[in-house]
This record gives sequence, C-alpha cells and structure tokens, in this order.
Amino acid sequence: MGLREKITNNRFFKSIYREGYPDTDRKRVMVVINSLALHLHPVRVAKKSLKVTYTWGLGGLSIWMFVMLTITGVFLMFYYIPSVKDAWWSIISLDTDVYFGQFMRNMHRWAAHSMVILVFLHMTRVFYTGSYKPPREFNWVLGVVLLTVTFLLSFTGYLLPWDQLAYWAITVGTNMGGATPIIGKQVQIALLGGFQIGQATLIRWYTLHVIFLPLTLIVLVSMHFWRVRKDGNISTPVYPAPPEEEATLAPAAARAKEPTGEEGADEGDESGS
Amino acid sequence: MARTIEEEERVIEDPGERVHVWPHLVSIELVGALIYLLALTVMSILIKAPLTDLANGEVTPNPSKAPWYFLGLQELLLHMHPALAGVIVPGAVLVLLAAIPYIDRSRAGTGIWFSSPKGIPITKFAFVYTTVWNLSLILLDEYLPAGEGAHGIGPLLELYGFPPAVGSVFVPLVFMTFIPWSLAVIVKRRWNANTREIMIALYSFFLASFIVLTIIGTAFRGHSMHLVWPWEVGHPEGLLMH
Repeated sequence: MGLREKITNNRFFKSIYREGYPDTDRKRVMVVINSLALHLHPVRVAKKSLKVTYTWGLGGLSIWMFVMLTITGVFLMFYYIPSVKDAWWSIISLDTDVYFGQFMRNMHRWAAHSMVILVFLHMTRVFYTGSYKPPREFNWVLGVVLLTVTFLLSFTGYLLPWDQLAYWAITVGTNMGGATPIIGKQVQIALLGGFQIGQATLIRWYTLHVIFLPLTLIVLVSMHFWRVRKDGNISTPVYPAPPEEEATLAPAAARAKEPTGEEGADEGDESGS
Repeated sequence: MARTIEEEERVIEDPGERVHVWPHLVSIELVGALIYLLALTVMSILIKAPLTDLANGEVTPNPSKAPWYFLGLQELLLHMHPALAGVIVPGAVLVLLAAIPYIDRSRAGTGIWFSSPKGIPITKFAFVYTTVWNLSLILLDEYLPAGEGAHGIGPLLELYGFPPAVGSVFVPLVFMTFIPWSLAVIVKRRWNANTREIMIALYSFFLASFIVLTIIGTAFRGHSMHLVWPWEVGHPEGLLMH
C-alpha cells in the first residue's frame, strides 16, 4: 500500500509513533508501555475479565462520561454567567442563539444523569462480584468517596441554571444540611455562603462545580486507577480451598500455557511493585 | 512477624489465560465508548434539558422536589426527623458502605457474580423482603388514621400522648435497624449463610430500599407530597417549562 507507506514511513510519523502499528506480539507490548494513555493498562489481561457480562464496562463508561462532561462543560463555560441577574438569561441565550448550544447543554445534562447512574451500577457490580475483598479493600473505600464526589458534582451543577427547579431543589437540600445535629446552622451558612440562597451561593457552588470538585475527582480517580493496577487488575475467580488440601496458585500453571517470547517485557506488569 | 490475628485463608485462584491488551481490551473499550457516545448524542438531539421559570423566592412550586438521586432521601424526610433522614442516615450509609471490606474479609468469592450458588436466592429474598417492608411502612404512614385528618405512625403515637421524638426519631430508628437485622438472621438460618452471603443480603437491602424510595419519590408523590398514582402526579404548580 503506497499511501500507507508514505504516511507511516517517514521521520515525522516515526517520531510520534516509535514502533509503528502493533501487528506483532513485541509491538503489542511496546505500544502499551510507550503510550501515555495506554500505559494505564497492563500489557496483558486475564481473558475472563474481558467478558462484557462480567463488568459491563461500567467503570470505563463512568470515566468516559466524566470526560464528556468536562468537554461539554468547558463549552458551556464560555457562555454561562454565574450571576443571579444573568445566569438564567445566559442559558436561554445558549439554547437559542449559540450554534450547538442547546445540543451541548443537553449532552451535559444527560451525561451528568448517566454518570450518577453508571457509578452507582459500577459500585453494585464491584460489590456483587466481591471485588472489594482483600487486597482491594482500600480501593473500595476510595470508590465510596468518589460516589460522594459524583453526587456533589451533580448537585452543585443542578443550581447553576438558577431556575425554579434549581432554586427549590437546592432549598430542600440545604435545609437537610441545616438539620445536621449540633453544627447545623454553621453547615447551612457554609453551604449557602450566607443566610439564604443568593449570589454568594451561586458563586460558591459554581466554583465547587467547575474547578474544586472536578480536581478532587481527578486526584481520587487517579488513585483509584493506580490501586486497580496495584491490587491485581480486574478481579478473577477465587474459590475457597476444600479442607485438608493445599492451596494451589494458578499463575505458575497459567504461565506454562502462555505463548513464548514475551517473558522479558512482561515481567513488569505481574508483580505489585 | 508472627500472625496472631487470624489464620492465613487458603484459597484457589483461577485467573485463567491472559491475552494482549492491544487489541483485545482496547477494541472493546473503543466500541463501548462509541456506542455510548452515539446513544448520548441521539438522546441529546431528541430530548431537551429542562429549564423552568427564573428562580423566584416568593413562589414555591408544589411539590418541590430534589434531583432524582436525592428523591429517596426526600421520601425518608416524610417519615422521620430531618436530622435523621437528611444527615444521619445518609452519613451512616456511606460509612457502612465503606466498612464492608473490613467486615467481610475473606478472599473466597472474589471474581464470581453472587459468589456462591446461595448468592442468587439470597439476593432475591432480600429484595422481596425489603420491598414488602418499605412499601408497608410507606402505606401505613400515608393511610393509618391518627385522628383529626392526620395519618401515620408518628401522629398516632402523639395522639396517644407519646412525645414527638418517639414517633419521629425512636420508632424510625427501631425499624431501620430491625429490618436489616431480621433479614440477616433469616438469611443465616434459612441458608446457613456465611459473612459474605449475609453481606450480600444487607447490600441488597440497601439497593432495594434506594430503588423503591427513589421510584416512590419520583413517580408516586404529587401535590403536597401526597401518595398518588403516577398519572396523577402531573406538573408541579408554579413551575413552567421553557
């Protein structure tokens, strides 16, 4: 193929993609190790963990939704004004005047609802497959914190249109916060930025929604992914050993069945270090 | 360092064959992301995100509802003291969720949906048991007469002279601990459940409660938060769409 050769066989292309298309086992290893995005993955995974009906890809879809929300969110930030006088009007303008404005806003809204549902389903999947058990306990705790951050992100975003739906939903929510025992009044003042919902509340929740909570989520998600790798990637079956029998570890036997050639490059992903 | 806390658990691990991430995993990821992006795009073209009237502190919509994922909590608010419903219960739920792996510490059962042949019947039973309890209590609070047009367990207790805290704090606490506790006891006796299986029952109790309360809050609460049929819920008054 002349065109393919021309595109791929020059200095510029090779300076970006060092090894070329991964069509040999060695190149399949190198592309994962060398790539910024791909090196999140191990070089090899257990075939059982690929089964769609095992994980349903829920964790991956959750983070994909976060990426979509960030992209559509940045678009919205060019037009949204976080002032009680202008917020609602800026959204009307976005919906009617801006090319793709209504579309981007819809994407943002439905991706947000999706993300809440997806992370909840992801937690449910992890629970029912026992993938919180040792050595993954702390990662589960990180996940619960991430669930909370996701709810908070959705809730802070809910206020921003400054319409009746937003205003009164947040009234219900902050009243619940104000019911906290002992420190309720302080909690409510912290949430509202004052004694009632107003400009201070809007600026506060806008800042939480567009920068503080997303940064928090990114830091926690990075830890969450890191722990997935360190704790042994996606879980595979672990059975109780029958009594009076020695526990057998399958990896040694499984390695004997693997195709030859990659043991050297492969070593890095197996251990916990 | 000698292990004195507990014995090493003996398990059999079965990870099976391994395959290259490129192309086997990345291709699945690409297809999944594209399918979801397509679905989201179609939905965004067809369905408009809601935008109601400009915020007005003088006009309260009736009913005034939280976003759907908090409607379960808002439903709880109708049945007990706000500090309990809005702060203590959600706080306790998060703490208990986080504590799961430190209570169920065995490795056996990882990587298998429902972990054991008993897992599925236990889950089904937990769902049914929880739903029956939840619906009964919601219906009781809505229709149990408590004198002078009032309804519910709390108002009834007040009618009999108990202080309000009994109906709004003590009784809900009793129910919220009794139901999962009794579930655990039944599951242990009926299926000789181990820790993991009891945990499955308890998580199913949480999940079923969340689902039932959210459905009731979304589809069955109408004007003044009365229990109505979904087709009677209608549009909150004072909330015009743009």
